[in-house]
Amino acid sequence: MATIQTIVQFFLDLGASVFLPVIIFILALIFGAKPGKSIRAALMVGVGFVGINLVLGLLVNNMGPAAKAMVERSGVELSIIDVGWPASAAIAFGSNLAALVIPAGILLNLVLLFTRVTKTINIDIWNFWHFAFAGALVQAVTGNIWYGLISAMIFAATMLFFADWTAPAVQQLMGMPGISLPHGASTSMVPFAVIVNKIIDLIPGLNKMEADPEAIKKRFGVLGEPVFIGVIIGLAIAALGYAGSGPFATWFPRVLQSAISMGAVMVLMPRMVALLMEGLIPLSEAAREFLQKRAGGREIYLGLDSAIAIGHPASIATSLLMVPVVLVLAVILPGNRVLPFGDLATIPFMVCMMIPVVRGNVVRATITSTIIMIPTLYIMNALAAAQTTVARSASFNFPEGASTITSMVDGGNFLAGIFVWAANNFWIGNAIILAVLVIAWTLYKKNSATWERVAGYRED
Amino acid sequence: MMKGKKRILVACGTAIATSTVVARKIEEELTKRGIDVVITQCKAAEVPSKVDGQDLVVTTTFVSGTGNVPVIHTVSFLTGIGMEQDIEKIVEYLK
Repeated sequence: MATIQTIVQFFLDLGASVFLPVIIFILALIFGAKPGKSIRAALMVGVGFVGINLVLGLLVNNMGPAAKAMVERSGVELSIIDVGWPASAAIAFGSNLAALVIPAGILLNLVLLFTRVTKTINIDIWNFWHFAFAGALVQAVTGNIWYGLISAMIFAATMLFFADWTAPAVQQLMGMPGISLPHGASTSMVPFAVIVNKIIDLIPGLNKMEADPEAIKKRFGVLGEPVFIGVIIGLAIAALGYAGSGPFATWFPRVLQSAISMGAVMVLMPRMVALLMEGLIPLSEAAREFLQKRAGGREIYLGLDSAIAIGHPASIATSLLMVPVVLVLAVILPGNRVLPFGDLATIPFMVCMMIPVVRGNVVRATITSTIIMIPTLYIMNALAAAQTTVARSASFNFPEGASTITSMVDGGNFLAGIFVWAANNFWIGNAIILAVLVIAWTLYKKNSATWERVAGYRED
Repeated sequence: MMKGKKRILVACGTAIATSTVVARKIEEELTKRGIDVVITQCKAAEVPSKVDGQDLVVTTTFVSGTGNVPVIHTVSFLTGIGMEQDIEKIVEYLK
């Protein structure tokens, strides 16, 4: 027994860039991928990991000191850096929980499918990282990997429910029959969108308002380009931090260099994740075939990445409007210490599942997003310490004492927040969460037509 | 006679997750058929600025502003259902 523990510890100590490829290789083989392909894929995962670590270093080394200087001079206390979802995905995949979440998630899905609880097969294995991420936070808080796994599985089940519930509306909006979107970050927004949408229906004047998404896209289009977000915010932070301290020839180049470095982070980070992603493709394809083969002939929805819903004009327009809104909220909300940055380019993932509910109405989607952003910022503040702990244990090294990190879309996700909060009293907390899920799911099954209409589906 | 490589623009929500899957799959299938292509990945919102000079746009989400370039909107490369037909369509467009 002691030997096994020594061996396991040896592998964990190798760090995620070595440990994860081994796990990915084994999982890919189990699901029936070819060995040659699996090895190449596993190595790409390791490479992606190293790449993300490099870019994260660039971000923290530049943004950290600039943000610190800004805090000291302006008194705007925004010292927790939003490193964006790519880093969070790497952190989640680098946690030892991820190796459990993938097989357990597939098993849970099959059980719920065969017991006819859900119609969705989530073939989007890549996005299991959202569940692993929330679970890893629970693990960091409780020190218990099984607690983390249980939270991750309740999260995964909740997304299957929301995916079933929204499937008719999503299929109608996308014009794609047979799909659903059980995406941890996007689909968890659905209940808020439903509630806010109902309230807007009752407000005279507001319930008639609409805006033209194409016009907004044209006017604000540049705001959505990651390189501009990076350079502009880098410039602003560095200018607030360094401008006027010492001779012009010292601070001015420093400000410009910071701005370009931040632009580089925004452009390079997704490129690194694409490598990680490339390495996961054989595993996710093998898992997809494994699941589809076992699904049988009945009506099922194939659960895909919500990225396919992001291109809707209303989704893009709302996300562009939200960039300045989030920055203003970060400055004016009392007690907030988070500096939104990396995930400003990821806002579409928070917005895209609201679009079917509000039926493409930009005004409603913007109001819903603005409201949800307030708890999101406070949850980020609350979870940042846990996220930083997980990042360190996934062997992401940033300078000692330099920074606390977070990421908006997942580090501020309300379900992640609920799971971490419930972890204080794990069994009671999770029993309550599970009871709410079962009751809601049962009510939906009894009266699915009404529920689906509320989520934006129209029979005509 | 030398022919220029055909160019395909693959667009999705982030230019990371789904478009990487689609791009790799198209590359793999076309290479099998002996067709050499240059594939560029981009975000849906970037399509109008990147569509110039492309022979085909393949997207998993909504795109606009593609001008005269043909567009294939499909999730078959993600689901595996109908993928063969889509590959045939792509080959047809590239001829």
